[in-house]
Amino acid sequence: MGSSAKKKKEKQKDFQKPKLRVGKAKAKPENFTDTSFKSKGITLTQQSLTLTAPTTNTQFTSHLSHVTSKSDAQRRDSLAHLTSYLQSKPSTTPLPTPVSTLLPTLSPLILDASSSVRTNLLKLLRALPAGDVADHVVQLMPYVRAGMTHLAPDIRITAVDVLSWLLGIAGEEVVGCAGGWIKTLNCFLSVLGWHTEESAKWSANRAAFGKAGAKGKPMVRVVGVLGEFLGAGIGEGSGGGGGDGDVGMMDGEGDGAAVGFPVVQTEVHMVAKAAQPYVYLNLFGSPRDEEGEMYETREERWRVFQGRFLAPVERGLESARQEGGEVGRASMTVSKVMKEAVEYGRGVGFEA
Amino acid sequence: MVKRKLGALEKVEADLPNLQQKIRRDPKSYIEDFRAQHYQYESHREIFMAAPSSTTETGLISLRELIDFIAHVAHCYPDITKEFPQQLMDILSQHHLILQPELREKIVGSLVLLRKKEILDSATLLQTLFPILVSTPSKTLRALVFQKILMDLRTSNAKATNHKLNRTMQTVLFNLVTSDRTSSKGLWAIKLTRELWKRQIWSDAKAVDVMKEASLAQNEKVIVGGVRFFLGGDKEREEMEDESSDEEAIDMGQVRHQAGINKKTRSNARAVAKARAAVKKKERKKNQPHPLNFSALHLLHDPQGYAESLFSKHLQNTKSKLNLDQKLMVLQLITRLVGLHKLHIMHLYSYFQKYLTPRQPSVTSFLASLAQASHDLVPPDDLEPLVQKIANEFVSEASAAEVASAGLNAIREICARQPLAMNETLLQDLVMYRKSKDKGVMMAGRGLLSLFRDVAPEMLKRRDRGKDASIGLQKGDKKEKRFAEQSAGGIEGLELLEKWKEEERRKKRAELGLPSDAEDDEEEDEEADWAAWNVDDDEDSDGSGDWVNVQSDVEIDFSDSEDEKDGPPSKKAKSAESKKDDAPAEKEEESAEAKFSKLATTRILTPADLAKLQELREEAAINALVPGARGRNAAANVTRHRDDPLTAEEIEGLAALSAGKQTREERIAHAREGKTEQHKSVTAKRKERKEDQGKSTTNKEKARKKNFLMTLGKAKSKNKRSLVQTRAVLKAHQDRAKRGGRRGNVGM
Repeated sequence: MGSSAKKKKEKQKDFQKPKLRVGKAKAKPENFTDTSFKSKGITLTQQSLTLTAPTTNTQFTSHLSHVTSKSDAQRRDSLAHLTSYLQSKPSTTPLPTPVSTLLPTLSPLILDASSSVRTNLLKLLRALPAGDVADHVVQLMPYVRAGMTHLAPDIRITAVDVLSWLLGIAGEEVVGCAGGWIKTLNCFLSVLGWHTEESAKWSANRAAFGKAGAKGKPMVRVVGVLGEFLGAGIGEGSGGGGGDGDVGMMDGEGDGAAVGFPVVQTEVHMVAKAAQPYVYLNLFGSPRDEEGEMYETREERWRVFQGRFLAPVERGLESARQEGGEVGRASMTVSKVMKEAVEYGRGVGFEA
Repeated sequence: MVKRKLGALEKVEADLPNLQQKIRRDPKSYIEDFRAQHYQYESHREIFMAAPSSTTETGLISLRELIDFIAHVAHCYPDITKEFPQQLMDILSQHHLILQPELREKIVGSLVLLRKKEILDSATLLQTLFPILVSTPSKTLRALVFQKILMDLRTSNAKATNHKLNRTMQTVLFNLVTSDRTSSKGLWAIKLTRELWKRQIWSDAKAVDVMKEASLAQNEKVIVGGVRFFLGGDKEREEMEDESSDEEAIDMGQVRHQAGINKKTRSNARAVAKARAAVKKKERKKNQPHPLNFSALHLLHDPQGYAESLFSKHLQNTKSKLNLDQKLMVLQLITRLVGLHKLHIMHLYSYFQKYLTPRQPSVTSFLASLAQASHDLVPPDDLEPLVQKIANEFVSEASAAEVASAGLNAIREICARQPLAMNETLLQDLVMYRKSKDKGVMMAGRGLLSLFRDVAPEMLKRRDRGKDASIGLQKGDKKEKRFAEQSAGGIEGLELLEKWKEEERRKKRAELGLPSDAEDDEEEDEEADWAAWNVDDDEDSDGSGDWVNVQSDVEIDFSDSEDEKDGPPSKKAKSAESKKDDAPAEKEEESAEAKFSKLATTRILTPADLAKLQELREEAAINALVPGARGRNAAANVTRHRDDPLTAEEIEGLAALSAGKQTREERIAHAREGKTEQHKSVTAKRKERKEDQGKSTTNKEKARKKNFLMTLGKAKSKNKRSLVQTRAVLKAHQDRAKRGGRRGNVGM
């Protein structure tokens, strides 16, 4: 039985002691695992052992840095923290970091994939001091527009919400900033599917809005915000007529009357109140085309609107009215704004 | 409430590829979606332009994906995407330094895609990409852009040569090379031109001009690039052509057969279609006329001026930064130009003077260049001192064998081109080296001797002349060639054709049973020839059918009349034939030269003749390569084309034979060189390995190897065992097996 002997021998081998030899390294066991590694540097994570809690300021900045984190939950929590901080802080104390540095980190989150992040973002934005945001509308608007035409319907709705908030605090800037009027209106038309006659007819274009089962709610919201937007741009209260939101060059008569006679044109010679009074000159940017131009007065905006958007918007409103229900009601408010605007247009001399 | 089923699209939040697919199928219905995505792109672009260097990925969709998407469907909505290509080009040309690599590549790729969809034209694309190629510091981008430029040039020249584009591109390259001669940017021009030259897309003088300017630049890399092109570009082109024609042939019958048998799948059908297309393409290629390609050296304008400026700029100029190898390369180019165009450069030969010593590094290249630079219009006074110097420095009993053979070879090459450079005493001296003991030197000496037997036997001693040359001298048809004397040229290989014809005629006559030497009526032969006019192309027949009408008026005699009708041939033709009849009779003994000039002048060579001529020429070239019949040197001289360069290896010649004794290892390695490894069985290999590892053998092997005498006793006694003994042995064996061997398994 040669084979069995062989097997026995093999079995025995496992229990044999390895021979140790002088001057030779000890043989490694069979199940030896090489755990050595190479690295350019070793970082030892240190735990902070200070007894004092970090100041609110450092907390704020650290959370701000976590806003761009990879994980959804981290982003959401950081946003929530920032929001609660802003809400609890007395309005007189300044922010730990100014809005101008906050916004560039926050604005990409409008396009964030996670819905909870976006809702928290909206809360945070609402908590920001309104006056500071107004100066940075120009930076925010591209993100809003990108959100409005996003493939994902949820993101579109968030973007519309953000726009609504922006209109609430700085309507004049939104419609008057570079590209703010034509481009945004284009986005509205595309969201609503009102661009061309045939596209407006097909309900399929709008069916994609919102999650399934949202039942046209988003549509109502978008139409509502469109109303706000038009109101800010060409509505009654919009500061186009006298141009009070302007640099102050044109409104010499209107406000100047309040001041005494010899110093009628004081306003003209005062330092401008706006943050960037000479943006409209576009001294440093690239040359703008028609769409990217600034339309600062109601008159200009009306002219553009009448030429490009009046017909599709009216057509869209008509179909929305016929649809009835909430959408129809929402469309009524827009129609009201439109009526005012058309009236105004007659007054200025642009016949509808 | 029942949950509504979600459509596939609704689940996926942002699915651009899906939308792309849908748009491709039905662009009209998805215009709103596309418009939305276009606005999206616009907004993202705005964000990007505000801070081009920032690396923030914005949410689900990045600018890169949007660009990709729009580029793919741009052809569906030309009015919406009117400005898209321009925007991409602006981004790329303004920000290519700071763009993220991925985005950068995507933009380049999208531009090329737009070009493929013909939204963008080639010129614009190249105008955008080329400046980037030249200016970007990124290696990957350069590689990508270079490849794209090359591809675009190839595709736009695929169907027909796009002369306009080529001209603009060549002008751009020319300007690049000439605008700043010190910069290395010219390298891109060289790379592009060389690649396109290789692929035969550019084969005109303008491309050569670019290279010419490059080789006259001041940057070493650019110079070397340009010079290399002239030295090797044409060879590369030929190799490329051979490669492309060598593709393995597809057996269409087999493919069709297999398609009939195998399972019919869509992929199989596609494979068959592909094979068919390939075969068709190949056939079309075969029928195409061979492109007329001049070598770059022939396309040069003013080779004299070019060679002179190369010489004065790179070789004579003491400030030139080129190292020896580069200088040698330039020298090779100059001498090739001199040899090919028979130029004369004043100081070229005196320049060689100081380099012709055995100690000079790569002196064989110098020798080769010198030989290349000599041609029959070089004054012998220029060459003679050089030959003398080579003889003095290299060829002596004291010098090493390799050196002497190199010197002799060099002298032979020079004299092959200009025999007048040799004087009688020196020649007789050198010829003595054919008696040398060293094989290399001996062969070189013989080469020189056979050369002079051929060109100027009267310079040799009487006993060295050999039989043929002596007879020739006596008859007086071997005359010394005077300086700059030109011989009348003939058609290469014409004598082969004549010989072949003669043989054919002889065979025919042998078949007919006539004496093979007698003159038959040429007319018959002629007729056969004319019949063979249209051997390979039938299309011509209707063309010549038109010509029949003409023939009666103008009396041009043409084949058809003689073949088919028995109509009398026209007068002119007849007179010509009668002349031909008596011509061979008179001039039977005339020299060979006169003979083949006669064939060409008295007959019109038909296409069939020309095809045969080509065939014979190739055959002769192949025969010349086979060692035997003729001397090897003569064969080498025959096969050498005028355009081919003379290399240092040829000068070294058989020096390898005189390299002294090789070591044993070298000899073994040399003997093994060509042999493939011997086959060995698996067991043999295993055994060898075991032995290498120093392991022991098995008992069986030991038994097998045991000395025969030692086993003899036991074997003998085995025969004589009794039954009892045998039983005892078997039993003991069994016991042993149970116990586990002789020593047993006691411990267990």
